[in-house]
Amino acid sequence: MVRGFGWAAAFPDEVWEHVFSFLAADADRNAVALVCRAWHRIERRSRRRVFVGNCYAVAPAAAVRRFPEVRAAAIKGKPHFADFNLVPTDWGGGAEAWVEAMAEGWPHLEELRLKRMVVSDDCLELIARSFKNFGVLSLVSCDGFSTAGLAAIAANCRSSPVHTSVGLEVAILVSVASEGVNELSLVYLLLSSADIPYLRNLRELDLHENEVEDNCLNWISHFPESFTSLVSLNIACLEGDVNTSVLECLISRCPNLKTLRLNHAMPLEKLVSLLQRAPQLVDVGTSKFSADHHPELFSKLESTFAGFKHLKSLSGIWEAGPTYLPAIYSVCESLTSLNLCYATIQSPELLKFVSRCKNLQRLWVMDLIEDNGLIAVAASCKLLQELRVFPSDPYGVAPPISLTEHGLVAISAGCLMLHSVLYFCRQMTNAALLTIANNRPNLTCFRLCIIEPHTPDYISQEPLDAGFSAIVESCKDLRRLSLSGLLTDRVFKSIGASANRLEMLSVAFAGDSDAGLHYILSGCKNLRKLEIRDCPFGDKALLDNASKLETMRSLWMSSCSVTLGACRQLALKMPRLNVEVIDERRGRPLESWPDDFPVEKLYIYRTVAGPRSDTPPCVWTV
Amino acid sequence: MGDQSNSPSSSIDSSSHPALCSTSSIFQTRRDLLSTDLKLGLGLSTSALHGCSSKEREQLSHWPPIKPLLRSTLEEKVHRSHSKTFFVKVYMEGLPIGRKLDLLSHNGYDSLMRTLRRMFRTTITCPDTSRVPPEKAHVLTYEDEEGDWMMVGDVPWEFFLRTVKRLKITRADKC
Repeated sequence: MVRGFGWAAAFPDEVWEHVFSFLAADADRNAVALVCRAWHRIERRSRRRVFVGNCYAVAPAAAVRRFPEVRAAAIKGKPHFADFNLVPTDWGGGAEAWVEAMAEGWPHLEELRLKRMVVSDDCLELIARSFKNFGVLSLVSCDGFSTAGLAAIAANCRSSPVHTSVGLEVAILVSVASEGVNELSLVYLLLSSADIPYLRNLRELDLHENEVEDNCLNWISHFPESFTSLVSLNIACLEGDVNTSVLECLISRCPNLKTLRLNHAMPLEKLVSLLQRAPQLVDVGTSKFSADHHPELFSKLESTFAGFKHLKSLSGIWEAGPTYLPAIYSVCESLTSLNLCYATIQSPELLKFVSRCKNLQRLWVMDLIEDNGLIAVAASCKLLQELRVFPSDPYGVAPPISLTEHGLVAISAGCLMLHSVLYFCRQMTNAALLTIANNRPNLTCFRLCIIEPHTPDYISQEPLDAGFSAIVESCKDLRRLSLSGLLTDRVFKSIGASANRLEMLSVAFAGDSDAGLHYILSGCKNLRKLEIRDCPFGDKALLDNASKLETMRSLWMSSCSVTLGACRQLALKMPRLNVEVIDERRGRPLESWPDDFPVEKLYIYRTVAGPRSDTPPCVWTV
Repeated sequence: MGDQSNSPSSSIDSSSHPALCSTSSIFQTRRDLLSTDLKLGLGLSTSALHGCSSKEREQLSHWPPIKPLLRSTLEEKVHRSHSKTFFVKVYMEGLPIGRKLDLLSHNGYDSLMRTLRRMFRTTITCPDTSRVPPEKAHVLTYEDEEGDWMMVGDVPWEFFLRTVKRLKITRADKC
């Protein structure tokens, strides 16, 4: 009988568990756990999903102990700037500790999602043999593994039923077992002695933007013939060739396959014959989309795509030329998500394709679409929610293209449901930003990257403070913001004061002084992640706002003006922060450096696990 | 890179500027990437370029923030672009009508010599063959940025591409 508040004991645990099952958000479940001991106990035993935003914030064993019945785990490792090579490759984020703890404590784990972690082949093998009912493996921006590790995963995907006579034996024994004997352990004993393979139903293998070493060419052939449960396969990041005929067999025997994203190595003819086997696909990532013109191939491609009655998402389209794109016009109308950021085709063809996609909600495209293209998109894609425009020429070697602030303004005016923007361009004005802010107060994510650092408003030559201030003041639900261009401390004052829902802020080449950083850290109530590079922010703002850092997940500062002395002070003051100084020049150990030593890179994060034990030579926890 | 001149004195200047690359690093850079930069550099105004090759600038500041997969896709695209050409006039001494030749369709001096021998039906010797040229043979010379006429073959191919303005096949005994 549960002791506690009377009302908590009014219902049995199962009822509370059922009530809690309607709470999806972790924040809500965390709140529930603080109410009373009974609820804490019930909640922790019933939590099925765990998200660990920083793998070093908690010890794996502690997480596994606290929530023993987890079925789905998502863990993130390296800081975001690792995507742009700012974090040393040996910094950390190894997955072994977590996978070992999970293998031991969560044998019923069904879903594992790792992002920016170092995953070894041994880890993959451990995953392959530890979880009886494993269904989903997602590795995003990870590295450290090879196709040999994938072969191990594939080989363990067995979907076979339990032999019936053995099952009967088990049932009899369980029913005669006395109360003192653990029934479950008896069952497992029988199963293992009968040597029945674990039941495995891998549904999803998602490899997104990983660096994978190719040492096992035929890893796909390791999927057993009996394996038919695949729903989603994403191998877009693999560089090597994949055996097409093996893949064709796999696809043919998996009737539930909905997502198939291939890698660019596959020639177009092979892609077509592959896709013909799966007309039920909802999400397709093609391989190389260019070849010499063959009328036969064109019509085959056309009929294959015409066969896709349920296609909603299209990506890949590597190196697309104007030759074959018209073959797939038939799917445009049904597409809700289109990723053309690897399609380096010019504006007229791009425009013809995109403007047919009237139901598009998400569009990722190269700046080759130009302002005219975006104006056309604004007129035809009225349901657009997310736009990302990537630079086709980031280092400014080719002649400039006509993609300016006008394109983004047109989109903000025409697409009423737009809430997420990532835009690379070379010029901007405060007036344009103001217009965008007024047009789209519903923006939740605004990331603007003006390619040349310190670029002012090209008409007034003013800093872009006014423009970005307008964005944060108008867009009350803004959760993510990236700044660029010429910016003074004034913009940070506005952000600190107005960006109340902001959770992630990225700053580069901006600000005049410590005041800028101080405005951010003393404002922005909901700030979780702050990443800064090449700004004149220093010690004072950090130390004055030390306690703020414990309310955030992490802070990254590189090429700023922070000294080692301030890091030492901060570390002393805040024992529940790990203050990591990263210096790749190495040399003498940290202890011998003076206080005024300039810190090259700094990563601060809150943790209940104390300093980590796996720091490489270039990282010191102060 | 297009706005850096090639004379030795400028390499001293450029190496003292932290943002620009020294000439020695030009040779250390991957050959194909360098020649690509040059191909592109020849096709546009110098104002659009900054001090360094794309690869080195990227390593300097890892800016702009694009992910490695996109970055490598763009680099590949740049390598693959065959649409860049660099036509120069070629005259042979004694012939009033000249020809035009796309230097970028060749990957080195050997290839260039073979094409020119075919175009003009004459023997063209290179400075690195130590045979004394017979009277009927010709040598290949080029006019550089500064207007001087120089013997083809002394400098690395990529360097040559950057400075050559026109070619002239002259009689060997004039050199």
